[in-house]
Amino acid sequence: MKFIRANMSDQTITEENVPNNYIGLGGRGLTSIMINNEVPPQCDPLGPDNKLIFAPGLLSGTTLVNTSRVSIGAKSPLTGGIKESNVGGTMGFSLGKLGINAIIVEGKAPQGELKFLKIDDQGKASFVQAQDYKSMRTYELVEKIHKNFGKKNSILCIGPAGEQEFKVASIQGSDTEGRPCRAAGRGGLGAVMGAKGLKALIVDQGGKNPDPVADPGTFKESSKVLTKIINEDPFSGNMLPNFGTPVLVAPVNSLGAFPSFNARKGVFDGWEKISGEAMAEIQGPRGGKMKHMGCTQCIVHCSNEYVDEDGKYITSALEYETIWAMGGMTGIDHLDTIAKLDFLCDDIGVDTMSTGVGIAVAMDSGYKSFGDRDAAIEMVEEIAKGTEFGKILGQGPVAVGKHFNNERVPAVKGQSIAAYDPRSMIGNGITYATTPMGGDHTAGNLVGAYLGQVLDPLKKEGQIETSREIQFFNAAADSVGMCLMVYASLNSPEAREVFLNVTNAKLGPELAVEDLRSLGERILKAEREFNHKAGFTKNDDRLPKFFYEEPLPPHNTVFPFSNDELDMMFDF
Amino acid sequence: MKVTVRLYGTLRKRFSGYRAEQGLEIFIPDEATARDLLDHLKIMESLGPVVAMEGRIMKPDDKIDQGADIRIFQTVHGG
Repeated sequence: MKFIRANMSDQTITEENVPNNYIGLGGRGLTSIMINNEVPPQCDPLGPDNKLIFAPGLLSGTTLVNTSRVSIGAKSPLTGGIKESNVGGTMGFSLGKLGINAIIVEGKAPQGELKFLKIDDQGKASFVQAQDYKSMRTYELVEKIHKNFGKKNSILCIGPAGEQEFKVASIQGSDTEGRPCRAAGRGGLGAVMGAKGLKALIVDQGGKNPDPVADPGTFKESSKVLTKIINEDPFSGNMLPNFGTPVLVAPVNSLGAFPSFNARKGVFDGWEKISGEAMAEIQGPRGGKMKHMGCTQCIVHCSNEYVDEDGKYITSALEYETIWAMGGMTGIDHLDTIAKLDFLCDDIGVDTMSTGVGIAVAMDSGYKSFGDRDAAIEMVEEIAKGTEFGKILGQGPVAVGKHFNNERVPAVKGQSIAAYDPRSMIGNGITYATTPMGGDHTAGNLVGAYLGQVLDPLKKEGQIETSREIQFFNAAADSVGMCLMVYASLNSPEAREVFLNVTNAKLGPELAVEDLRSLGERILKAEREFNHKAGFTKNDDRLPKFFYEEPLPPHNTVFPFSNDELDMMFDF
Repeated sequence: MKVTVRLYGTLRKRFSGYRAEQGLEIFIPDEATARDLLDHLKIMESLGPVVAMEGRIMKPDDKIDQGADIRIFQTVHGG
């Protein structure tokens, strides 16, 4: 149980036992509470006072399935508030196996200097000169790192966008095959990493010193039950392994909630060409994989490997949100193009969602036509080239809207919304408006409640309460390192009880959490406190004006909640 | 009455020769409900089916319109 503090200003590394006030925290719970305690809320997110924290989940590194996520936290340059973005792949498990609860990157390297932070199989950290890797794109970067440091290393890295401190810069994580195709995309955390002068975190996968499990017997038995539940659930056991997250394209379009052409329509005309079902039909004959293990410890295999007509790798994994941002929003109904855009974003190191929405805002402003495939590819390339337009797109959709004097920017707190329109899945609008993270679906997605017929997506009843509850539970999930896709399948009270048992078997009686809800509530309170100190007010917990004024076809409805009603979200 | 049914997710595999462009054209009794349709197609509850008509999710007892274009997908939680 230890923290590693790496100071980029003076190139010192210190280790410390986990202080008492952080024991029992992991993932988002640890990053958010530590940022609230240690980062000056008014600081420059790209300055030396900000901290970039990598924290595996509480259960990462254990034998429990689907727990290999790592949270990355900092003050966000995109939103100006607190940010946690988590990623799968292999890093969470590698850190957990080393018994490292957090790596806290502090200070800022002198201008122009670039370093790797390398951690060996004993958990010993050191800086490595990385000048030779300057401006390198992520696929070439990880190939060289694996060649020079060995294949059995987990990597989190930035591309040229992060080095240029663009606000849509991502941190890319290596998957089980070593490719940098898993992304902590949101909030511009790649820019924070770039500002600090850290090109990559490289962690040996051979750790053998995980934190102890307090009650191994209960942990093992409850883990078995959870594995059975996950395997038998229709979503995690059947739908995801066959289609992955792109399976959402059909239902969300069928319900008129797929924001298209920069959120002018709720059904994308060409959605049948870019659905999960279409992807399976295209990829089958080519030899692509609709079922692929992207993350350590995963039994669901919802990842995919998308290949071209010659069977050559284009990208992994092509996910629902990317299909939406690069497809529906831009009017591009061509999966091969969307796959290329996904690869480009991973390679340059930018968030596919904020980038796709930025392109859509530019197209909506008349800069290029909706559906122009070549223009979309060129626009993403311009970010890496640092052209005049690339520099605007790299700062996110709000910057693009300002440049073109277009107020139709679907973003909250500076960050784009996700693939569920708040006018026809209105509870998701509550989440976008109120989560401390900015427009973010993972903070509290209600689509399962709609398709499970618990709530009507167009009626106000129950939406605020449900958004609040899911925000609590998801904050807890992000703290234990469990994949949200799997966590969403644990939605019965019995399954949640078993999950709580596993968590407490790891922690032991002294640290045991009473319930997952209260863990989530504690995290949200810390995040809101930080944002308040950073200068956020109630006025920041609102959607853009056009969602209240512009009816969305086909239902022709607007977002129906008043400001007072939105503020009820915080009655806790 | 005749209705057109389009299937998504793993449901297509249950109907050999299913073609996405056409969907299924089937005859069901007038006044049939969403539940009746699922029974007719032998799509079990355990598959998590969701029936949608005109952009709205149907409750089990909701009646299907004459000539409706119905979509059936499966419960999913998020992406």
